[in-house]
Amino acid sequence: MKARIVLFLLLLLWLPAGAPAASPDAVLGRIQQLAAGVETLASDFSQEKYLSVFQDVLPASGRFYYRKPDRLRWEMTAPVSSGFVLNGEQGRRWQQAGSAGERFDIAREPVMKIVAEQLLAWTRADFDRLRKEYRITLEKEDPVQLRLDPQGAAAGFLDHLLIRFAPSGKHVQQVEVHEQGGDYTRIVFHDTVVNGPLAEDLF
Amino acid sequence: MDLADLIAGAYRRLAPRRTLLLLVTAALLGASLLGFRTLRMQENIAAMLPDGGSVAEDFQLLQQAPFASKVVITLNGGSQLPQQQLIAATDELAQALDPRLFPQVVSGPREQLQQRMLPWLLAALPNLADEEDLALLRAGLDEAGVRERLQQSYRSLLGPEGWALKGLIRQDPLGLHRLALEKLRHLNLVPGARLADGHFLSPDGKSALLVAETPVPMTDSAGAEQLLAAFEQAIRVLPEGVEASLVSGHRYTAANARAIQADLWLILSCSTLALVLLFLIFLRSLRAVFVFLVPVSVVCLAAVAVGLVYPEVSAVTIGFGAVLLGIAVDFGLHVYFALRRGGAEPAAILGAVAKPVTFGALTTVAAFAVLLFSDLPGQRQLAVFSITGILAALLLALLVLPHLLRVGAAAPEPPRKEGGQRAGRWILALWLLLLAAAGWQATRVTIDGDLRAMSLTPPALAADEAKLQQTWGQVRGRAMVWSLGADLEQALAVNRQIFQRLGSGEAGAELVSLAPLLPPLAEQEANRRRWQGFWAGEEGQRVLAALDREAVALRFSPDAFAPFRQALAQPAAPVTPAGLHEVGLGEVIDSLVTTLDDGRVGVLNLIPETPAALAAAETALAGLDGARLVAQGRFREEVSAAIGHDFTRFIVSAALAVVALLVVLFRHPGRIFAALVPVLSGLLLMLGIMGALGMSFNLFNVIAAILVIGLGVDYGIFMVCRQDEPCERATETAVLVSGLTTLAGFGALVLARHPALHSIGITVLLGIGGAIPAALLVVPALYRGRAQ
Repeated sequence: MKARIVLFLLLLLWLPAGAPAASPDAVLGRIQQLAAGVETLASDFSQEKYLSVFQDVLPASGRFYYRKPDRLRWEMTAPVSSGFVLNGEQGRRWQQAGSAGERFDIAREPVMKIVAEQLLAWTRADFDRLRKEYRITLEKEDPVQLRLDPQGAAAGFLDHLLIRFAPSGKHVQQVEVHEQGGDYTRIVFHDTVVNGPLAEDLF
Repeated sequence: MDLADLIAGAYRRLAPRRTLLLLVTAALLGASLLGFRTLRMQENIAAMLPDGGSVAEDFQLLQQAPFASKVVITLNGGSQLPQQQLIAATDELAQALDPRLFPQVVSGPREQLQQRMLPWLLAALPNLADEEDLALLRAGLDEAGVRERLQQSYRSLLGPEGWALKGLIRQDPLGLHRLALEKLRHLNLVPGARLADGHFLSPDGKSALLVAETPVPMTDSAGAEQLLAAFEQAIRVLPEGVEASLVSGHRYTAANARAIQADLWLILSCSTLALVLLFLIFLRSLRAVFVFLVPVSVVCLAAVAVGLVYPEVSAVTIGFGAVLLGIAVDFGLHVYFALRRGGAEPAAILGAVAKPVTFGALTTVAAFAVLLFSDLPGQRQLAVFSITGILAALLLALLVLPHLLRVGAAAPEPPRKEGGQRAGRWILALWLLLLAAAGWQATRVTIDGDLRAMSLTPPALAADEAKLQQTWGQVRGRAMVWSLGADLEQALAVNRQIFQRLGSGEAGAELVSLAPLLPPLAEQEANRRRWQGFWAGEEGQRVLAALDREAVALRFSPDAFAPFRQALAQPAAPVTPAGLHEVGLGEVIDSLVTTLDDGRVGVLNLIPETPAALAAAETALAGLDGARLVAQGRFREEVSAAIGHDFTRFIVSAALAVVALLVVLFRHPGRIFAALVPVLSGLLLMLGIMGALGMSFNLFNVIAAILVIGLGVDYGIFMVCRQDEPCERATETAVLVSGLTTLAGFGALVLARHPALHSIGITVLLGIGGAIPAALLVVPALYRGRAQ
């Protein structure tokens, strides 16, 4: 009887491992294909920063907009009002709600360039671009969760990224940015609207 | 013993030893031919630029300009090509360039520059922050200022950029890096470039830039050809629709070398053909071939003489050999025609012709001798070349050639028909009219000191230069302000003063300068002390206390800004060129700091080359030792002034030397004046026609004018000597054929593509073209008038 139980347990263990799993490339290809159909995105986000330079966890929230191919708006509403808009190579950022802010050229701001590339690459599921600077590992298949280990310039301050896609596969649902030294940031996207209308003046 | 006896005696002594004489001469000429083959030719314009004085120094400094020695490649993808494909094509081309010829190719700022620059600047800030910067800190870091700056850091940490900025904020919570970034504001060497993916792109995104180092010197014509061939090979990797053009001094060198080489063949071929024609028309004797062998032998001998004095021989000088070919044949022709006429013992004939031939040669030598004092090495080489060639030709013509010719071979000449008094008056009237018209037009001749006018610029290269400037701004044509010192520290001290004087002026906004980033060490030391004093003093402590209070209010952890406090406590290492190299600014440093050939250190500043900016810079830099403003436009003016000065100096010196020789020869004012008629006519007609045609005078025309003096006086001497003899036509024929051979040589130079050779040809053609009719018609007319 004991032997049967052990055999049954072994079978239970073996079954999931033995189920036909899709190759990572196939999974990434599927996600890429789904993301290709995304013209616009609008989403709320909640953010928690676990930083050693602060005594407490820093919660924040805001709103995120994207329009294909390279327009993006990242707007923090609490605890401070700040954000930036990217329109191709040009951008504008503000430190207070309602202020005109300042314009910038992404080519002249290496930090904003890295940030913009990151956000656009996740949003568009542009794995071809991400592969140039990260080693991508498929951690979970359903929902799809990826681990990105930086190999290029970002390796100087990032340790790794964890990106989880929504069950639909069309957009990112959660991102964890783990920095060198143990600090990390978790961003959760919710109430995401795919391909909804977006006001032109958002960008 | 006078000259006639000397030459006649030499003929008599050498006649029995004819074979030995010819063997020795052949051996000497053979040796010169071998020596000619070993000469190192220099095919660029450098030989025609001064090698001393302020013009030379300016030229040396112009050559040190950033991009002056670099290869600049522009890729153009047109409006249809996506930016990423243009960038990919740029990288492909950079990879495809032969690393032996293009060891370092830069397509944009180094990646390490972007990563390391801010932390490095922060660490260097105590060395760089001057009194003005501290005043800004005092004004901006009151209680409210500290709060605002820390809140800004807080907001940055909350945003996505916080991932990259956290380390920097810990070192710099008050945003002092903005003060440091200002130090980079004056370092943009490519004003028209923007960055995309670490590449220099034009503002419209259609063009990309590659800047390459090369070990090939700009003056190396063979190396330049190799470099251009390697570039042509490399651009084959470019996808369809992407074009690449290369601009560098090497293209000019290669184009000029090709033109000069092609010209040399053309000139020598045409000269030879013209001389053969003259031979067939006027000489028609196999023995006369020896007359033409005289100048051929002289070219090699003269070139070897130049090679013995100068390590490198200018190809322009050798091109001038074709001209010398025409001069050197003159002496032989006079000897030939005199001996052919016969009528006396050969030694006596030779003695009679020796005086005008020798004085003709000496006046030409005297005219060319003034070029020995030229500032231009090329002109000095020409002087050595001409003097050696003329003297050698003279010796060959008087000592060797007579032993190869037959005496009295010509048919008896019909008696000379002297024109009547009326014809003489008409000739003189027409001559005076022509001279008056020429004198009037001669005032229109301008002096052109533009070096580009003296070297060949193919239209395609000019178009690429214009396109380069249109796409990237004035990367190759900005004015330079050099700070010069015995060592780097001294040069940097001058550089600092230059920056202070120019920074707030007309050119301030566009000024390229290292001064804010690399002050002299003494000033860095002073800055460090001031910086440390500020933070250790009452004001600094107040700022730090405010920072602590705001940090607590924003819930920063107690050691959040420990790196900032540690940096304040540690002394900063001085900023040095080596340190700037390490941080990734090597190309900029190498472009702006250089050790000159004379051992001095030069630090370069760039300003726009506009009249307003230059005038403002000149005023601002007045009285500042070690500062030197160098601009292409000003350089052209300086060269123009030098040419004008040289022209006057050389013409006056040559004229004085020639008149002095004429005084020795003729000792009679009327005869001296008559001998000067061809040269005066030639010069005036040359200047008059140049003025009427709107031509300008360059430094090659100076050489041409001296040639006109030398040759024109020869014709005058022969014609004056001829008037004292019984009627005979040998001298007239000799002068005519000599003049035509010279014109044949110069006529060939007119066909040259190279502006320098062409310039000599066309202007001397006019001068000699005026001198020959003056010698053959005006001098006899003057004598007829006197006889009447």
